[in-house]
Amino acid sequence: MSAATTSAATDPFSGTGREYQPLRSYAAIGDGRTVALVARDGSIDWLCIPDLDSPSLFGAILDSTQGGRFELCPEIPFTVERRYLPDTNVLETTFVTDRGSVRVTDAMTLPAGLAPGRELVRVIEGLSGLVPLRWSVEPRFAYGFSPGRLETRLGFLVALAGSDAVAVCSWSAGEPTCNRGRVNARIEAAEGTRAQIALSISHQEPLVFPARHEVDQRLENTIAYWKGWASSRTYDGPWREAVIRSALGLKLLVFAPSGAIAAAATTSLPEQLGGERNWDYRYSWVRDSAFTLDAFLRLGCPYEAEAFFWWLMQASQLKHPRLQVLYRLGGGSSAPERILDLDGYRGSKPVRVGNAAAGQSQLDVYGDLFQTAWLFASARNGLDQDIARRLAEIADFICTIWREQDSGIWEVRSEPVHFIHSKMMCWVALDRAAKLARAGLVPDRHRKLWEREAKAVQTYVEANGWSEAKQSYVRSAGSRELDASLLMAVLLGYDDRGGHRLRATVRAIRKELGKGPLLYRYTGEDGLSGGEGFFLTCSFWLVDALARLGQLDEAAETMDTLVALANDVGLYAEEVEPETGEFLGNFPQGLVHLALINAAASFSEQQRQ
Amino acid sequence: MSFWGAIVGGFVGTLVLTTGLRAGSEFGLTRMDLPFLLGTAFSGDRTRAKAIGYGLHFVAGQAFAAMYYGVFVVIGESGWLLGGTFGLIHALFAGTALVSVLLPVVHPRMGSTQSAANSRPLLEPPGFMMLNYGPSTPAVTVITHVIYGAIVGGFISLSG
Repeated sequence: MSAATTSAATDPFSGTGREYQPLRSYAAIGDGRTVALVARDGSIDWLCIPDLDSPSLFGAILDSTQGGRFELCPEIPFTVERRYLPDTNVLETTFVTDRGSVRVTDAMTLPAGLAPGRELVRVIEGLSGLVPLRWSVEPRFAYGFSPGRLETRLGFLVALAGSDAVAVCSWSAGEPTCNRGRVNARIEAAEGTRAQIALSISHQEPLVFPARHEVDQRLENTIAYWKGWASSRTYDGPWREAVIRSALGLKLLVFAPSGAIAAAATTSLPEQLGGERNWDYRYSWVRDSAFTLDAFLRLGCPYEAEAFFWWLMQASQLKHPRLQVLYRLGGGSSAPERILDLDGYRGSKPVRVGNAAAGQSQLDVYGDLFQTAWLFASARNGLDQDIARRLAEIADFICTIWREQDSGIWEVRSEPVHFIHSKMMCWVALDRAAKLARAGLVPDRHRKLWEREAKAVQTYVEANGWSEAKQSYVRSAGSRELDASLLMAVLLGYDDRGGHRLRATVRAIRKELGKGPLLYRYTGEDGLSGGEGFFLTCSFWLVDALARLGQLDEAAETMDTLVALANDVGLYAEEVEPETGEFLGNFPQGLVHLALINAAASFSEQQRQ
Repeated sequence: MSFWGAIVGGFVGTLVLTTGLRAGSEFGLTRMDLPFLLGTAFSGDRTRAKAIGYGLHFVAGQAFAAMYYGVFVVIGESGWLLGGTFGLIHALFAGTALVSVLLPVVHPRMGSTQSAANSRPLLEPPGFMMLNYGPSTPAVTVITHVIYGAIVGGFISLSG
């Protein structure tokens, strides 16, 4: 649990002038369909309904004036202590004031019985003294562009917009009133008292008005479910607490209806404050697939692993054998990018929804797919026939396209080039395809072709992707720039014909792209203005690479530092600002947590050996 | 009009419908695979599921042909044009309710809008008009079902 002094926010009833909270101050709660972000001051500043990739109901994190939020905090100055209830995704925030203390428990409950379509629950418990609190629900549908209207139904205040409806249900939480599109109330929380506020959310169906005891029951069931899920994880190595928190964070990003995993819960949180590097991460990237399956299997999550693999193979069927970079959580392939007229987090414009990277060509995704299939087939000792046939066809396709230029793993918006990481991943794809064929898991009619082409890729990489001057593999053919994605070559077992080149590359990347344990992704052109922060995923890849190369002391030291960089509840954004240590980018970031889990697991395995 | 016309029409219509959907998939127009969706309700093995699903799909094709026949008898009229209209209604019903809403609710391996963290679906839900399976899915569904309806209506009409 952590504590920090916080002033009471500016008057939440005023509706303007509220400052943006640091990204580090957010915790995530969710139900496997959508995610809400709760700031340390008790304000829920992000929630999309009904699903993670739907428009926002609360979007204050992207526009503090127009976005909408759900505030709940003492009316007097307070300090905050905060934690997740152990082994759950249920958040507990304790406000301590001069007049006493009060505890708020926040959760998205899991459905049971006739439950609301989605339900956000906040329970207020007086711990000591008498604490004056105020709460305010400011629903702003469709990213804030549809304020909706407030009506009273069955004694509850209901916000309505199109086919969406939100009922504000409260018990012992004051007398809610309407004011300029907001539901406001004041409450005095005395020691031993308990109040509940539940948002019952419906989409294209009638609202369900929950009873007070049903809300409590669902909250209890939700806590019990998360505890049961966390206790079923099999990892027992070092940094277990961070690994389990990462697993719980990832589980929030798993879109239960399909099994897909979102890259993050948000859109357009900036990689540079005030900059244009603001992207929508509420999609599932093939790039993350191998890490996802590896992490699920290492954590003992066979159901999540199987659901994800089924989803991936189904989603990628439409444009077979060509893979898209990313897919919608429901499996769709279209993600048209558009700009919303919002202020952006701390003025970071543009705010984008959709992601144009969906249309890019990235050759590395084929390596990710085949590594995923290899892990899945190894764990299951088999592949279904039609998947095996499709994989063989994709391997044939790779033989025809690996010589092409692409946009690379980082989705640069400059002209395509021959990225060395992409070529290495094509080698990984063909190598795994041949292995699957040798194991009798995919048709082996073209195995010799795959082996021959894998050698050709390797010859290309060794001839064009190595710099004697830098003593490192480089970002693109013939360049002298480095790229931290090359660390993946160690993680995925790229054969550098002797081993010294990969080891040297790790050294060079640390020297040129690193500052302590932190790494920049790359140097050089990417077609965008401005810069970015340290990319946390790459730092965890560094730990993984060091562990696999046997440098365990360095790996442990780096890992300790990185684990300490998490926020007070153990979550990470995509990047860290070099000067201030503030989080940058979308949050919570799935790839960072995947990399943390896999780094810890690799270290643990190497340590045992 | 005879019931045998419905049986033969249902068989031929389903054959053409299945072939059309499969062709749509091969041409990259849709990921919808009705036999697979039906079969996975009974088996988690993809190959076995498809075999079961093809059988179920043909049974469903016969059942719908029988329903068409019943309506033709009631209104005292049949024909390929009327059958095609039934096929259009059939497709819209399938896209908006039958496959989009009802199937996810009863299918043990399919996600639905109500699936949450505590559930374990393996199959993505179809979504409205089955758009999750590709933007051309509604068009493929409508065209193939209109052809199915026209064949069923035509055979019933020709059966005397």
